[in-house]
Amino acid sequence: MSLADKPYIDPSEIALEGSGVQRFKDSSHAFWSGIRDAAGAPAMVLFAGMVGFGAMGKTNGMDVWFTSATSFLMFALPGQVVLLEMAITGSSVLAIALAVTLTSTRFITMTVTLFPQFHEKDRNHGLYASVHLLAMTAWAISMREFQTIEAKHRLSYFIGLGLLCWLISVPGTILGYYLAGMVPPAITLGLVFINPLFFLLTFTEVKVWINRIAIGLGFVLGPFFFILDRDTSLLTTGLVAGTAAYLFDRKVLRKKAGVIG
Amino acid sequence: MNTALQGWGLWIALAGATLGTYFCRAIGVLLAKKINQESEIFRWLAAVTYAMVAALVVRMVLMPIGLLATVPLWIRILICLLSLGVMVSKPAHRLVPALLTGTLLMLAYGVIR
Repeated sequence: MSLADKPYIDPSEIALEGSGVQRFKDSSHAFWSGIRDAAGAPAMVLFAGMVGFGAMGKTNGMDVWFTSATSFLMFALPGQVVLLEMAITGSSVLAIALAVTLTSTRFITMTVTLFPQFHEKDRNHGLYASVHLLAMTAWAISMREFQTIEAKHRLSYFIGLGLLCWLISVPGTILGYYLAGMVPPAITLGLVFINPLFFLLTFTEVKVWINRIAIGLGFVLGPFFFILDRDTSLLTTGLVAGTAAYLFDRKVLRKKAGVIG
Repeated sequence: MNTALQGWGLWIALAGATLGTYFCRAIGVLLAKKINQESEIFRWLAAVTYAMVAALVVRMVLMPIGLLATVPLWIRILICLLSLGVMVSKPAHRLVPALLTGTLLMLAYGVIR
Protein backbone atom coordinates (compact mmCIF):
# COMPACT_ATOMS: atom_id res chain seq x y z
CA MET A 1 0.00 0.00 0.00
CA SER A 2 2.12 2.75 -1.44
CA LEU A 3 0.93 5.88 0.20
CA ALA A 4 0.97 4.21 3.54
CA ASP A 5 4.59 3.34 3.01
CA LYS A 6 5.68 6.86 2.25
CA PRO A 7 2.89 9.22 3.18
CA TYR A 8 5.17 12.27 3.19
CA ILE A 9 6.36 11.83 -0.39
CA ASP A 10 4.04 13.23 -3.02
CA PRO A 11 3.38 10.36 -5.42
CA SER A 12 3.00 12.78 -8.33
CA GLU A 13 6.61 13.80 -7.78
CA ILE A 14 7.75 10.21 -7.99
CA ALA A 15 5.89 9.86 -11.24
CA LEU A 16 7.56 12.94 -12.71
CA GLU A 17 11.01 11.69 -11.84
CA GLY A 18 10.31 8.29 -13.26
CA SER A 19 8.73 9.46 -16.49
CA GLY A 20 11.43 7.57 -18.37
CA VAL A 21 9.95 4.28 -17.19
CA GLN A 22 6.27 4.61 -17.92
CA ARG A 23 4.10 1.79 -16.78
CA PHE A 24 1.26 2.63 -19.15
CA LYS A 25 1.55 4.13 -22.62
CA ASP A 26 -1.83 5.92 -22.55
CA SER A 27 -4.97 6.17 -20.48
CA SER A 28 -6.78 3.38 -22.31
CA HIS A 29 -3.86 1.08 -21.52
CA ALA A 30 -4.14 2.12 -17.86
CA PHE A 31 -7.90 1.53 -17.90
CA TRP A 32 -7.59 -1.99 -19.28
CA SER A 33 -4.77 -2.80 -16.87
CA GLY A 34 -7.10 -1.76 -14.07
CA ILE A 35 -9.72 -4.15 -15.42
CA ARG A 36 -7.12 -6.91 -15.72
CA ASP A 37 -5.83 -6.36 -12.18
CA ALA A 38 -9.38 -6.48 -10.85
CA ALA A 39 -10.16 -9.71 -12.69
CA GLY A 40 -8.20 -11.91 -10.28
CA ALA A 41 -8.40 -12.23 -6.53
CA PRO A 42 -10.23 -8.88 -6.01
CA ALA A 43 -13.12 -9.71 -8.32
CA MET A 44 -13.28 -13.24 -6.92
CA VAL A 45 -13.52 -11.88 -3.39
CA LEU A 46 -16.10 -9.25 -4.20
CA PHE A 47 -18.13 -11.66 -6.31
CA ALA A 48 -18.15 -14.19 -3.48
CA GLY A 49 -19.20 -11.48 -1.04
CA MET A 50 -22.08 -10.46 -3.29
CA VAL A 51 -23.09 -14.10 -3.80
CA GLY A 52 -23.21 -14.41 -0.02
CA PHE A 53 -25.32 -11.26 0.21
CA GLY A 54 -27.71 -12.48 -2.50
CA ALA A 55 -28.14 -15.73 -0.57
CA MET A 56 -28.82 -13.70 2.56
CA GLY A 57 -31.53 -11.69 0.76
CA LYS A 58 -33.20 -14.85 -0.45
CA THR A 59 -33.13 -16.61 2.90
CA ASN A 60 -34.63 -13.50 4.53
CA GLY A 61 -37.57 -13.29 2.16
CA MET A 62 -36.58 -10.25 0.06
CA ASP A 63 -37.32 -10.22 -3.66
CA VAL A 64 -34.52 -10.46 -6.21
CA TRP A 65 -35.08 -6.89 -7.49
CA PHE A 66 -34.61 -5.32 -4.08
CA THR A 67 -31.63 -7.50 -3.20
CA SER A 68 -29.74 -6.74 -6.42
CA ALA A 69 -30.75 -3.05 -6.40
CA THR A 70 -28.89 -2.60 -3.10
CA SER A 71 -25.69 -3.90 -4.74
CA PHE A 72 -26.14 -1.62 -7.75
CA LEU A 73 -27.07 1.54 -5.85
CA MET A 74 -25.13 1.22 -2.60
CA PHE A 75 -22.16 -0.98 -3.61
CA ALA A 76 -21.05 -1.21 0.03
CA LEU A 77 -21.46 -4.67 1.46
CA PRO A 78 -21.41 -3.84 5.20
CA GLY A 79 -24.03 -1.11 4.64
CA GLN A 80 -26.14 -3.50 2.59
CA VAL A 81 -26.04 -6.09 5.38
CA VAL A 82 -27.06 -3.46 7.94
CA LEU A 83 -29.95 -2.35 5.69
CA LEU A 84 -31.17 -5.91 5.26
CA GLU A 85 -30.81 -6.75 8.94
CA MET A 86 -32.67 -3.64 10.06
CA ALA A 87 -35.38 -3.94 7.41
CA ILE A 88 -36.07 -7.51 8.52
CA THR A 89 -36.38 -6.50 12.16
CA GLY A 90 -38.66 -3.62 11.19
CA SER A 91 -36.56 -0.58 12.12
CA SER A 92 -37.76 2.86 11.02
CA VAL A 93 -36.58 4.27 7.70
CA LEU A 94 -34.76 7.10 9.47
CA ALA A 95 -32.92 4.72 11.82
CA ILE A 96 -31.88 2.59 8.84
CA ALA A 97 -30.59 5.59 6.87
CA LEU A 98 -28.59 6.81 9.88
CA ALA A 99 -27.10 3.42 10.72
CA VAL A 100 -26.09 2.79 7.11
CA THR A 101 -24.55 6.26 6.85
CA LEU A 102 -22.50 5.60 9.98
CA THR A 103 -21.23 2.29 8.57
CA SER A 104 -20.25 4.16 5.41
CA THR A 105 -18.17 6.85 7.11
CA ARG A 106 -15.07 4.86 6.16
CA PHE A 107 -15.62 6.08 2.58
CA ILE A 108 -14.85 9.64 3.67
CA THR A 109 -11.33 8.83 4.78
CA MET A 110 -10.80 6.30 1.99
CA THR A 111 -11.59 8.99 -0.58
CA VAL A 112 -9.52 11.60 1.23
CA THR A 113 -6.48 9.34 1.26
CA LEU A 114 -6.84 8.09 -2.33
CA PHE A 115 -8.17 10.93 -4.48
CA PRO A 116 -5.42 13.51 -3.82
CA GLN A 117 -3.12 11.11 -5.66
CA PHE A 118 -4.88 11.74 -8.96
CA HIS A 119 -3.37 14.19 -11.42
CA GLU A 120 -4.43 17.82 -11.01
CA LYS A 121 -6.32 17.83 -14.32
CA ASP A 122 -8.39 14.84 -13.22
CA ARG A 123 -9.43 16.39 -9.95
CA ASN A 124 -12.71 17.89 -11.19
CA HIS A 125 -16.45 17.32 -10.84
CA GLY A 126 -16.20 14.02 -12.69
CA LEU A 127 -14.81 12.55 -9.48
CA TYR A 128 -18.28 12.78 -7.96
CA ALA A 129 -19.28 10.03 -10.40
CA SER A 130 -16.06 7.99 -10.09
CA VAL A 131 -16.33 7.91 -6.31
CA HIS A 132 -19.29 5.55 -6.49
CA LEU A 133 -16.85 2.88 -7.74
CA LEU A 134 -14.78 3.20 -4.57
CA ALA A 135 -15.08 0.26 -2.21
CA MET A 136 -12.69 -1.42 0.19
CA THR A 137 -11.28 -3.74 -2.51
CA ALA A 138 -10.48 -1.04 -5.07
CA TRP A 139 -9.11 1.20 -2.33
CA ALA A 140 -6.70 -1.42 -0.97
CA ILE A 141 -5.37 -2.23 -4.45
CA SER A 142 -5.10 1.38 -5.60
CA MET A 143 -3.21 2.41 -2.46
CA ARG A 144 -0.66 -0.27 -3.32
CA GLU A 145 -0.47 0.16 -7.09
CA PHE A 146 -0.55 3.98 -7.37
CA GLN A 147 3.06 4.08 -6.19
CA THR A 148 4.22 2.69 -9.51
CA ILE A 149 1.67 4.47 -11.72
CA GLU A 150 2.17 7.93 -13.16
CA ALA A 151 -0.26 10.47 -11.71
CA LYS A 152 -1.90 11.15 -15.09
CA HIS A 153 -2.86 7.49 -15.56
CA ARG A 154 -4.09 6.78 -12.03
CA LEU A 155 -7.69 7.81 -12.62
CA SER A 156 -8.04 5.58 -15.70
CA TYR A 157 -6.54 2.66 -13.78
CA PHE A 158 -8.85 3.27 -10.84
CA ILE A 159 -11.95 3.49 -13.06
CA GLY A 160 -11.06 0.23 -14.80
CA LEU A 161 -10.53 -1.48 -11.47
CA GLY A 162 -13.64 -0.06 -9.80
CA LEU A 163 -15.92 -0.47 -12.80
CA LEU A 164 -15.32 -4.19 -13.11
CA CYS A 165 -15.84 -4.65 -9.36
CA TRP A 166 -19.11 -2.68 -9.50
CA LEU A 167 -20.42 -4.40 -12.62
CA ILE A 168 -19.87 -7.92 -11.32
CA SER A 169 -21.56 -7.12 -8.02
CA VAL A 170 -25.07 -7.25 -9.52
CA PRO A 171 -24.74 -10.63 -11.32
CA GLY A 172 -23.03 -11.94 -8.16
CA THR A 173 -26.00 -10.91 -6.04
CA ILE A 174 -28.50 -12.42 -8.47
CA LEU A 175 -26.51 -15.66 -8.68
CA GLY A 176 -26.34 -15.91 -4.89
CA TYR A 177 -30.06 -15.24 -4.64
CA TYR A 178 -30.93 -18.17 -6.89
CA LEU A 179 -28.16 -20.45 -5.60
CA ALA A 180 -29.28 -20.14 -1.98
CA GLY A 181 -30.69 -23.42 -0.88
CA MET A 182 -29.36 -25.20 -3.97
CA VAL A 183 -25.69 -25.61 -3.01
CA PRO A 184 -24.59 -27.43 0.15
CA PRO A 185 -24.02 -25.16 3.17
CA ALA A 186 -20.32 -26.12 3.17
CA ILE A 187 -19.82 -24.29 -0.15
CA THR A 188 -21.76 -21.24 1.03
CA LEU A 189 -19.60 -21.25 4.17
CA GLY A 190 -16.43 -21.14 2.08
CA LEU A 191 -17.88 -18.28 -0.01
CA VAL A 192 -18.93 -16.07 2.88
CA PHE A 193 -15.52 -16.53 4.50
CA ILE A 194 -13.57 -15.16 1.49
CA ASN A 195 -14.49 -11.56 2.26
CA PRO A 196 -13.07 -11.13 5.77
CA LEU A 197 -10.11 -13.35 4.89
CA PHE A 198 -9.13 -11.22 1.89
CA PHE A 199 -8.98 -8.04 3.92
CA LEU A 200 -7.16 -9.74 6.76
CA LEU A 201 -4.51 -10.96 4.32
CA THR A 202 -4.04 -7.58 2.62
CA PHE A 203 -3.10 -6.11 6.01
CA THR A 204 0.15 -8.06 5.87
CA GLU A 205 1.14 -5.85 2.91
CA VAL A 206 0.99 -2.69 5.01
CA LYS A 207 4.60 -1.81 5.73
CA VAL A 208 4.67 1.51 7.57
CA TRP A 209 4.54 1.35 11.36
CA ILE A 210 1.95 4.05 12.06
CA ASN A 211 -0.60 2.16 9.96
CA ARG A 212 0.42 -1.21 11.37
CA ILE A 213 -0.20 0.12 14.88
CA ALA A 214 -3.54 1.56 13.78
CA ILE A 215 -4.57 -1.85 12.41
CA GLY A 216 -3.44 -3.66 15.58
CA LEU A 217 -5.32 -1.25 17.82
CA GLY A 218 -8.35 -1.48 15.54
CA PHE A 219 -8.36 -5.26 16.03
CA VAL A 220 -8.23 -4.91 19.81
CA LEU A 221 -10.63 -1.99 20.25
CA GLY A 222 -13.10 -2.92 17.49
CA PRO A 223 -14.97 -5.64 19.41
CA PHE A 224 -15.00 -3.48 22.54
CA PHE A 225 -16.69 -0.53 20.81
CA PHE A 226 -18.97 -2.92 18.94
CA ILE A 227 -20.35 -4.18 22.25
CA LEU A 228 -20.80 -0.61 23.49
CA ASP A 229 -22.72 0.56 20.41
CA ARG A 230 -22.69 -1.37 17.17
CA ASP A 231 -23.80 1.40 14.81
CA THR A 232 -21.08 3.88 15.73
CA SER A 233 -18.41 1.30 16.51
CA LEU A 234 -16.45 1.62 13.24
CA LEU A 235 -16.24 5.37 13.57
CA THR A 236 -15.26 5.39 17.23
CA THR A 237 -12.71 2.60 16.77
CA GLY A 238 -11.21 4.42 13.80
CA LEU A 239 -10.94 7.71 15.63
CA VAL A 240 -9.57 6.30 18.88
CA ALA A 241 -7.19 3.70 17.42
CA GLY A 242 -6.10 5.92 14.51
CA THR A 243 -5.43 8.92 16.76
CA ALA A 244 -3.52 6.78 19.26
CA ALA A 245 -1.36 5.35 16.46
CA TYR A 246 -0.77 8.82 15.03
CA LEU A 247 0.25 10.25 18.41
CA PHE A 248 2.53 7.31 19.15
CA ASP A 249 4.15 7.78 15.75
CA ARG A 250 4.59 11.50 16.25
CA LYS A 251 5.86 11.39 19.84
CA VAL A 252 7.92 8.21 19.78
CA LEU A 253 8.62 6.67 16.38
CA ARG A 254 9.64 9.80 14.50
CA LYS A 255 12.30 10.52 17.11
CA LYS A 256 14.02 7.23 16.51
CA ALA A 257 16.33 7.37 13.54
CA GLY A 258 15.88 4.58 11.04
CA VAL A 259 12.32 3.73 11.91
CA ILE A 260 10.77 6.11 9.44
CA GLY A 261 13.88 6.93 7.49
CA MET B 1 -39.84 -6.70 17.59
CA ASN B 2 -41.77 -5.05 14.77
CA THR B 3 -42.68 -6.77 11.56
CA ALA B 4 -40.36 -6.57 8.58
CA LEU B 5 -40.56 -3.57 6.27
CA GLN B 6 -42.51 -4.32 3.15
CA GLY B 7 -43.44 -2.79 -0.19
CA TRP B 8 -42.72 0.92 -0.50
CA GLY B 9 -41.28 1.16 3.01
CA LEU B 10 -38.49 -1.15 1.93
CA TRP B 11 -37.66 0.91 -1.16
CA ILE B 12 -37.75 4.17 0.81
CA ALA B 13 -35.31 2.61 3.29
CA LEU B 14 -33.09 1.68 0.33
CA ALA B 15 -33.28 5.26 -0.98
CA GLY B 16 -32.21 6.57 2.44
CA ALA B 17 -29.39 4.04 2.68
CA THR B 18 -28.21 4.84 -0.86
CA LEU B 19 -28.20 8.60 -0.20
CA GLY B 20 -26.36 8.13 3.11
CA THR B 21 -23.70 5.96 1.47
CA TYR B 22 -23.22 8.32 -1.46
CA PHE B 23 -23.15 11.29 0.90
CA CYS B 24 -20.07 9.85 2.63
CA ARG B 25 -18.33 9.26 -0.70
CA ALA B 26 -19.16 12.79 -1.93
CA ILE B 27 -17.96 14.44 1.31
CA GLY B 28 -14.70 12.57 0.78
CA VAL B 29 -14.31 14.06 -2.72
CA LEU B 30 -15.04 17.52 -1.36
CA LEU B 31 -12.46 17.19 1.41
CA ALA B 32 -9.90 15.51 -0.84
CA LYS B 33 -9.57 18.72 -2.86
CA LYS B 34 -8.31 20.59 0.17
CA ILE B 35 -5.94 18.06 1.61
CA ASN B 36 -2.23 18.01 0.97
CA GLN B 37 -0.71 14.55 0.98
CA GLU B 38 2.30 15.69 2.94
CA SER B 39 0.29 17.18 5.76
CA GLU B 40 -0.05 15.85 9.28
CA ILE B 41 -3.81 15.56 8.87
CA PHE B 42 -3.24 13.21 5.96
CA ARG B 43 -1.08 10.89 8.07
CA TRP B 44 -3.68 10.97 10.82
CA LEU B 45 -6.55 10.23 8.42
CA ALA B 46 -4.67 7.31 6.88
CA ALA B 47 -4.21 5.82 10.37
CA VAL B 48 -7.91 6.38 11.17
CA THR B 49 -8.93 4.67 7.92
CA TYR B 50 -6.73 1.65 8.53
CA ALA B 51 -8.12 1.34 12.06
CA MET B 52 -11.70 1.51 10.75
CA VAL B 53 -11.06 -1.15 8.13
CA ALA B 54 -9.36 -3.32 10.78
CA ALA B 55 -12.41 -2.92 13.05
CA LEU B 56 -14.67 -3.96 10.19
CA VAL B 57 -12.59 -7.07 9.47
CA VAL B 58 -12.35 -8.14 13.09
CA ARG B 59 -16.11 -7.76 13.35
CA MET B 60 -16.64 -9.96 10.30
CA VAL B 61 -14.39 -12.66 11.79
CA LEU B 62 -15.27 -12.54 15.50
CA MET B 63 -18.90 -11.41 15.39
CA PRO B 64 -20.36 -12.49 12.06
CA ILE B 65 -24.04 -12.83 11.36
CA GLY B 66 -25.67 -15.69 9.54
CA LEU B 67 -23.95 -18.87 8.45
CA LEU B 68 -20.45 -17.99 9.62
CA ALA B 69 -21.77 -17.53 13.17
CA THR B 70 -22.48 -21.27 13.28
CA VAL B 71 -18.74 -22.02 13.06
CA PRO B 72 -17.04 -22.13 16.49
CA LEU B 73 -14.95 -19.04 17.20
CA TRP B 74 -11.71 -20.99 17.70
CA ILE B 75 -12.08 -22.63 14.27
CA ARG B 76 -12.57 -19.24 12.61
CA ILE B 77 -9.49 -17.87 14.37
CA LEU B 78 -7.42 -20.99 13.64
CA ILE B 79 -8.22 -20.84 9.91
CA CYS B 80 -7.34 -17.13 9.84
CA LEU B 81 -3.99 -17.83 11.50
CA LEU B 82 -3.19 -20.69 9.11
CA SER B 83 -4.01 -18.52 6.09
CA LEU B 84 -1.89 -15.69 7.49
CA GLY B 85 0.91 -18.22 7.90
CA VAL B 86 0.71 -19.15 4.22
CA MET B 87 0.60 -15.45 3.30
CA VAL B 88 3.73 -14.43 5.21
CA SER B 89 5.70 -17.60 4.45
CA LYS B 90 6.81 -15.89 1.22
CA PRO B 91 5.60 -12.31 1.10
CA ALA B 92 5.36 -11.83 -2.67
CA HIS B 93 2.39 -13.22 -4.56
CA ARG B 94 1.02 -15.48 -1.88
CA LEU B 95 -2.44 -13.90 -1.77
CA VAL B 96 -4.27 -16.46 -3.88
CA PRO B 97 -2.72 -19.55 -2.21
CA ALA B 98 -3.47 -18.02 1.20
CA LEU B 99 -7.06 -17.25 0.18
CA LEU B 100 -7.51 -20.77 -1.15
CA THR B 101 -6.08 -22.24 2.06
CA GLY B 102 -8.61 -20.38 4.19
CA THR B 103 -11.58 -20.95 1.92
CA LEU B 104 -10.92 -24.66 1.44
CA LEU B 105 -10.32 -25.20 5.17
CA MET B 106 -13.63 -23.51 5.91
CA LEU B 107 -15.32 -25.63 3.24
CA ALA B 108 -13.72 -28.76 4.71
CA TYR B 109 -15.02 -27.84 8.14
CA GLY B 110 -18.49 -27.43 6.63
CA VAL B 111 -18.26 -30.89 5.09
CA ILE B 112 -17.05 -32.79 8.16
CA ARG B 113 -19.16 -31.14 10.85
